Amino acid sequence: MIRNYIKTAWRNLIKNKFYSIINIVGLTAGLAIGILILFWVQDEFSFDGFHKDAKNIYRLELWGGTGASRQIWQATVYPIGVLAKQQLPEVEDVVRIGYNGDFASYRYHDKIFANDRVAYADPSFFSVFSFPIISGNANKPFNDDNSVVITKSTAQKYFGNDNPIGKVIIADNKQNFTVSGVVADFPENSSMQYDMIMPMSFNIKHMLAQKIDLSDNFDEYDCFTYLKLKPGTSLKALSAKLFNIHIKHHSADTDVAYLLLPLTKMHLYNADLTDRGITTVRVFLIVAILILIIACINYVNLSTARSMLRSKEISMRKIIGAAKSQLFMQFIVETALLFLLSAVFALVLIHFLMPVFNQLSGKQLIFDITDYHVWMVIVLTISGTLLASSIYPAILLSSFEPLKALKGKISSNIGDVMFRKILVVTQFVFSIMLIVGTIVITSQLSYIRSRQLGYDKSHTFSFPMRDMGNHYDAVRAELLKQPGVLDVTRSNQNIIQMNGISGETDWDGKAPGQTFIVHLMTIDKDFLSFFKMKMAAGKGFTGAVNDTSHLILNEAAVNQIGLKDPIGKRFQAWHIKGTIIGVMKDFHFASMREKISPAVFYYYPSYLGNMYIRTTGRDAPKAIQAAQTLFKQYNGEFPFSYTFLDEKFNDLYKGEQQEGTLFNYFATIAIGISCLGLLGLAAYTAQVRTREIGIRKVLGAGVSNVTIMLSYDFVKLVLIAIIIATPIAWYAMSKWLQDFAYRINIEWWMFLVAGLLAIVIAFITISFQAIKAAIANPIKSLRSE
Amino acid sequence: MLSLQHISKFYQVGGTRNFVINDISLEVEAGEFISIMGPSGSGKSTLLNIIGMLDEPSSGYHYFAGETVHQLKDKQRSALYKKYIGFVFQAYHLIDELTVYENIETPLIYQDFKSTERKAMVADMLDRFQIVGKKDLFPAQLSGGQQQLVGIARALIAGPKLLLADEPTGNLNSKQGEEIMQLFKKLNKEDGVTIIQVTHSEKNAEYGSRIINLLDGRIESSKQL
Ligand SMILES: Nc1ncnc2c1ncn2[C@@H]1O[C@H](COP(=O)(O)OP(=O)(O)O)[C@@H](O)[C@H]1O
Ligand SMILES: [Mg+2]
Repeated sequence: MIRNYIKTAWRNLIKNKFYSIINIVGLTAGLAIGILILFWVQDEFSFDGFHKDAKNIYRLELWGGTGASRQIWQATVYPIGVLAKQQLPEVEDVVRIGYNGDFASYRYHDKIFANDRVAYADPSFFSVFSFPIISGNANKPFNDDNSVVITKSTAQKYFGNDNPIGKVIIADNKQNFTVSGVVADFPENSSMQYDMIMPMSFNIKHMLAQKIDLSDNFDEYDCFTYLKLKPGTSLKALSAKLFNIHIKHHSADTDVAYLLLPLTKMHLYNADLTDRGITTVRVFLIVAILILIIACINYVNLSTARSMLRSKEISMRKIIGAAKSQLFMQFIVETALLFLLSAVFALVLIHFLMPVFNQLSGKQLIFDITDYHVWMVIVLTISGTLLASSIYPAILLSSFEPLKALKGKISSNIGDVMFRKILVVTQFVFSIMLIVGTIVITSQLSYIRSRQLGYDKSHTFSFPMRDMGNHYDAVRAELLKQPGVLDVTRSNQNIIQMNGISGETDWDGKAPGQTFIVHLMTIDKDFLSFFKMKMAAGKGFTGAVNDTSHLILNEAAVNQIGLKDPIGKRFQAWHIKGTIIGVMKDFHFASMREKISPAVFYYYPSYLGNMYIRTTGRDAPKAIQAAQTLFKQYNGEFPFSYTFLDEKFNDLYKGEQQEGTLFNYFATIAIGISCLGLLGLAAYTAQVRTREIGIRKVLGAGVSNVTIMLSYDFVKLVLIAIIIATPIAWYAMSKWLQDFAYRINIEWWMFLVAGLLAIVIAFITISFQAIKAAIANPIKSLRSE
Repeated sequence: MLSLQHISKFYQVGGTRNFVINDISLEVEAGEFISIMGPSGSGKSTLLNIIGMLDEPSSGYHYFAGETVHQLKDKQRSALYKKYIGFVFQAYHLIDELTVYENIETPLIYQDFKSTERKAMVADMLDRFQIVGKKDLFPAQLSGGQQQLVGIARALIAGPKLLLADEPTGNLNSKQGEEIMQLFKKLNKEDGVTIIQVTHSEKNAEYGSRIINLLDGRIESSKQL
């Protein structure tokens, strides 16, 4: 029986080549893109889920600060996790991870690498998390404070194929670390990505030498704390207990509130479960579903439309004894065959598209057909779409009344025509929404690019000077003599994205209990003129000795604390104290998603480790070469690496950029698939109306009359789609824009452009068929009746 | 074999009922060969379709092979139909996508015959109708007479007790028509298949054992030959 179904299905496929090709192309494109996006979505959801105890591990974070500066701090103080484990039975284990910025270079024999993926961690790192140890002991990963565990590829990098255990890596030419273990490379879908892990105990000893006792320090918030909890622990109660412990040691911090973020959520959520990527994932999930629906609609529309042409066959089958269920099965098999073919093509297409998709999305997905997750996505998608596409046509076809069908009375089935129109409108609503999305994202991105940053970042590159910094004045003078070097200045960090913040602030007129977080940056005296920044009041640094006790605030800082006549007032942040000598006009030192934050600038020449060189577009290579030569002169073998501010600035919006590009493609594909369906429907309409067209032409209708007659119906549907899509797209894109502190307005022309685009594309698609029908010889078509 | 009692069929046109079959009663014995005649629009096809359970009467009683058809559910009716009835059409109504062989085989598939059984039965039928050489051709490649032969073969393949034929020779020339009539006669005589045919031709009607004349949905006359 089933063989017979397949045989019939295959013949139908071959016989109606035009429709089969339209269906297969549409389905293949839809399935391939849909599945690719779903791979991406699945990858996002899979982050950090590979740890055996993932369900019981949480990252400890906290609310800190008051008023406008209250925010979530991902890093905690050092002792809280340890105390929690000692005092609370529900805390089974704790892992503290600290960023290791103590060393700039690592050497083994003649191999030197700069490395910023180095962490300090408690030994429990290897027992709480499931990063497999390849050699060494997971329960005792470090032999002593000077041990290090490295990843497999790091071992490869330093030691080639030699056994890494026992080898000594020298940090900054002064500190030895002996390799005590090798861990597998961190999976791509791990939020934690390190190359080397050193014992936290080293860090504690190291800091103790600088008179900072981390084991009893409640001021430094710079280690990540992960807690492994007993199953069923109440997070709310635990957070209260943690607060009590904290308060007992540091009674001033009444505004602290601990949060426990599940390990598996930390990739997509903030600790208060607000968005940290989940929205994008949801948007992509929706886009995948939309594209799949569009592809399914094509199939449903074409097969129901064509069912009229098949009514005779179906009726005869009924009359010679086919039961409804048997016909139903026949159509399901027919659909399944088509889907199977498309699925095979789609898999091939995915195989070829994967590298491109990875490049566009910045992921490293692998199309690994031995991975059951891959099959889960594929099988679910295909069976879901198959189900959605097969049921309705199968019901419709198998429920024909044979006598009516034989007499040709079925073609006037109004409800069914309506149904198809609704589906076409749905397709175009989706397509137009995607086009509007593309336009809005692109406009917002170009707005961000063109918005005045408040400083000039053009043709400027920057790099850490290291030992060259000790000879700054001579180096600067030397550089300025070089062709292509226009100006040189320095600060302690990159201006594009300032990192240093402090909540230890004080100033004249501070209200009791008021807390205030500021960004801190130390700059050279010529920093403002280098970047063409403007002062709102007062003056900048001059390089005089007493400038070290002077501060410059930005307007945002002054406004936020409501400081009147700031010049001459006393201000303190962290250990930097002094009088305010100037107020700087605001400039952007973070993503436009955020409002400009308060910032304080101070003058500490010994901290100024980061050099900026402004060059010209043409002479940039010369300037870089000059900088590199000088750098080598003072830093020897240490690798020289620089970034242009423009590049770093672009990096800030890499996510949005990728989103925009992907959206562009998705919209194109969606409208492409929709048009394929339209092409099929137009061809069908032309076929059904051949006789009518013939008669009209005999009566004197021209090609243009007939073309317009045939196109009008479809273009009308696209118009309806525009009307429906406009408010939905407007709402969705306003939501998307809300994440930006600085954003464009959604303008009416965006919808106009999207709508016109859809209409023009739809019209071109249809008129192709319409013209073909219109220029056909009417005598021929009439004779064939 | 079957009995119609006070069968009527009407279509509602505007406010009035348009009777296509008007209070017809008819008894058919097993082994009969009935020809139904009458002007176009007199209700012949409708009557045949009601007998064949493709159409339902608006009122009346319908008995077939001991079953009370008007009380049966759709499923039971179609089971009854599958078991006893074969249909032949004026326009042949073969399935264009299937070969001659497959057209004949299809009813067996729907009745869940095993593949080996099907092969034997279809081969037998092809043989009997002398169309073995045409078995892999598609309907479009056959003449009208050949197509109707296939149509009859298909109607007979599952061994029906009652063959219903609606103007089976209507699209054929007189020589082809005569061949079909000879075939019907043989089926009726030798295989004992009960036949009811609709025809416009006096000559073809006389192959039957009884001729019924319809006019405006009523039996105008009935004569035993
Ligand atoms: N669905 C229908 N609605 C209304 N009238 C119908 C319908 N089907 C058939 N008729 C009418 O019933 C009458 C009998 O039709 P039919 O049985 O086909 O006649 P015959 O086969 O004798 O030519 C015709 O006048 C036809 O117009
Ligand atoms: Mg008729």
